[in-house]
Amino acid sequence: MKNKLFRFKIVWGIIFAIFILAGGYPLYRHRHYSVQLICGPGVTEIKKLSDYFPPLKDTMADTTIFVLQGKEPGGKALILANTHSNEPEGMLAVTIMIEKAVVEKGTLYLIPFFNHSGGVNTRPGEGYPLYFSIPTPWGKKTFRMGNRDASPLDQWPDPDVYIHYPEKQMLSYLDIRNTNRTWPGRKNGLPMEQVTYAAMELLRKEKVDLAIDLHGAETMFPVTNCIVAPEKSMRIATLASLTVKSMEGFENHLESSPSKFRGLSHREIGDYSDTLPFLLECPIPFLDQPTGPKTEKLLLDGKDSFLLSLAKKKKLFVPYDQSGWPIEKRVGQHLSVILEIIKQYSRKMPARAIVIKDVPRYPELVKNGVGYYFSDPTKVDPKKIVNQ
Amino acid sequence: MLVQTLFISLIIILAFVVAKWKKLSVELSLFTATLAGALSGAIFATPPLVEIPRQLVEGSFTYLDVVLVFFTATLFIAIIQESGGIDFAVRSTVVYFSRQRFLALFLLMIIVLIPGALTGAGSVSLLVVGAPVALALRGLGVSDNKIPAILFILAGLAAAAPPVNIWAMILCAGTAIPYVGFELPLGLPVIILGTITILILGRRQQERGQLDEFLSKIKLTPGMNWFRLLIPFVVFFALVIIYRLFPFSFPILGLPLEFLIASLAAYFLSPKKLNLIKIASSTVEKLLPLLATMVIVGMLQQIMAASGVKGLISYAVLIIPLGLLFFLLPFIIPISEGVLTYGGAAIIGIPLVWYLNSLGYHATIVISGLSLLWPLGDGLPPTALIGRLSAIVSGYEGNYWRILKEAWLPWIIITVTGILMILFSSKLSFLVIS
Repeated sequence: MKNKLFRFKIVWGIIFAIFILAGGYPLYRHRHYSVQLICGPGVTEIKKLSDYFPPLKDTMADTTIFVLQGKEPGGKALILANTHSNEPEGMLAVTIMIEKAVVEKGTLYLIPFFNHSGGVNTRPGEGYPLYFSIPTPWGKKTFRMGNRDASPLDQWPDPDVYIHYPEKQMLSYLDIRNTNRTWPGRKNGLPMEQVTYAAMELLRKEKVDLAIDLHGAETMFPVTNCIVAPEKSMRIATLASLTVKSMEGFENHLESSPSKFRGLSHREIGDYSDTLPFLLECPIPFLDQPTGPKTEKLLLDGKDSFLLSLAKKKKLFVPYDQSGWPIEKRVGQHLSVILEIIKQYSRKMPARAIVIKDVPRYPELVKNGVGYYFSDPTKVDPKKIVNQ
Repeated sequence: MLVQTLFISLIIILAFVVAKWKKLSVELSLFTATLAGALSGAIFATPPLVEIPRQLVEGSFTYLDVVLVFFTATLFIAIIQESGGIDFAVRSTVVYFSRQRFLALFLLMIIVLIPGALTGAGSVSLLVVGAPVALALRGLGVSDNKIPAILFILAGLAAAAPPVNIWAMILCAGTAIPYVGFELPLGLPVIILGTITILILGRRQQERGQLDEFLSKIKLTPGMNWFRLLIPFVVFFALVIIYRLFPFSFPILGLPLEFLIASLAAYFLSPKKLNLIKIASSTVEKLLPLLATMVIVGMLQQIMAASGVKGLISYAVLIIPLGLLFFLLPFIIPISEGVLTYGGAAIIGIPLVWYLNSLGYHATIVISGLSLLWPLGDGLPPTALIGRLSAIVSGYEGNYWRILKEAWLPWIIITVTGILMILFSSKLSFLVIS
């Protein structure tokens, strides 16, 4: 009897171990998977965030900054993507800029994986795919699907409530790992507070004029398909919004940055530096709660019959039809709005102008797709490849 | 897609029912339902068959932090119990307050509310003070059936009480509404509803003889005193409060470590020698069903999301006409909590708040009203987290449904209050001071 029980336990122990290995190994691989980024002709320097705050060096919180400096001096802009790594449109837009943009005047600082730890994290309970692939003329380019928050492997434990620095506002305990709640950051804080602190150091030391933080939001969320800006950035945001609507035909309404909601980039960057902040939101049906299965297909084409039904009942905040909200439309919107904000600023401040060329805009993205702009890594100089 | 997700939902329900019919435990029945959901989802590659182990392992981590808090908090209270602290506290409290019964009940209510209000978890209230309060209630003549009912309702209200309300925080994080101005919309109803609860469930006193008999049964451990008893609690609350007072200079320890530090204080202050390994083992043994439920609910939630069932639930709620929705909310909200625990707030709560907000309802009051309904679901199967903990800490061994039956009147009053708050949210906006 005793032997029988022992054998039973051994058999189930082995089954359990196989199950853990089969389920755990893909998660391990995801954490160590590198995305290949290809430096285009415009990249003049590659830096790390830790160059602005050395304690981040050799940690999972450190991330790569691609610098694109023009021949002529001018203004400077920082573009952040993957602040929330489950909103990959911004990261794809920045990846295209790294490959294609050429700066003639001024300087661009591009950070494709701002919350790097969040990019190697997954989202338990949400059933996300681990990766997504963009079809290209030469095959597929595969990216990690990350999480909104940094990995607990890199920052843990969480407090029972997160108290924002320096405003002391109480926020959800999870938000202490959310790099869009930890601005303006804290020198002696937790890793994600240090990430935003390092970014603030970059803004201050390099005297950056514009900071654009790229996001995505649910179609049922009122703050989607928009530019969020504080008072000081609102004029430029308004001109950019009106221009893309009239010239390129897509809506991108304006949202005012609430002064009582702390920790967000569009609030704190403006309050704690001279930089003008903007936060761009494009709609991601994948993030909505009332959708079908959370598949790679839904992430890429944004087509969902539940959302379509809710759109007919006028319960969404964006126009939604059979065509869904495909990735090329979302990436295209981000690129066009970025370019327009920079253009409007350059018009207002000619001495600090930034002139960029060769970045595709919304109509080209919709026509050609995202993958059209990615080069085949097997056919470029290996020195031009950066693994992230 | 509707047919596909409905099919998977039916398989999940059917598997759970069959497993229960075959007399499997709640945890194994939930696991069976999860596996059935994953396999039926794999027919449509949602999730693909090869991904099922990854989805299950990933989902099992959804409530890891809750599992750690449950274990460390229960270990803490088990050490206090083994050292004779609980018997001492109960005897002293009952002897001192037995002549001022309402005051005693009111103080016990406040004692239950504080840990949950500070941490956002009703379970922490029960794990830290549930056992001594249950004994104190018994000493005050509250009947054995009503004690777990009182604890269940009060622990739920504790979780809803400010400053930390996890449901409200999840909703605020998901809807980009600042978590400010909740003190009155949450604090006032919690105090009023808590008082009503103890008046309804605790007003009847059993015969006086019961008290003397009860006191004679309690054996006091030599050497136990207020100092030895209170210092571990002081250590715990000091660690919780000190972070709030000095958030930028005091390190973040997290609730599990805070409970472990308090446990060490209790261990070293115990008047008798304790076997820590033995206490930890029996704690794990006692909590295993609850911890297993949390792990498996995380897996179930993951499979429901990957297969579209989670989205179907959210969609089903959103297509209900507004009038009918208000009528159904008292059922939908607690049931979502019973099935998905905090996941219910994300799946149903976030789109609901956006929807109601777009119709002119005041978001902060709506969230507060919903926050009163969610804790009720913690008494509902399959998880029934707070309900089951209430039974465990009060030593109740009767039929579980009896606890809910005893709590029916406070349940209805809380429900009506929550719904009225949502309906008249605009008129109650004066409560929001930020």
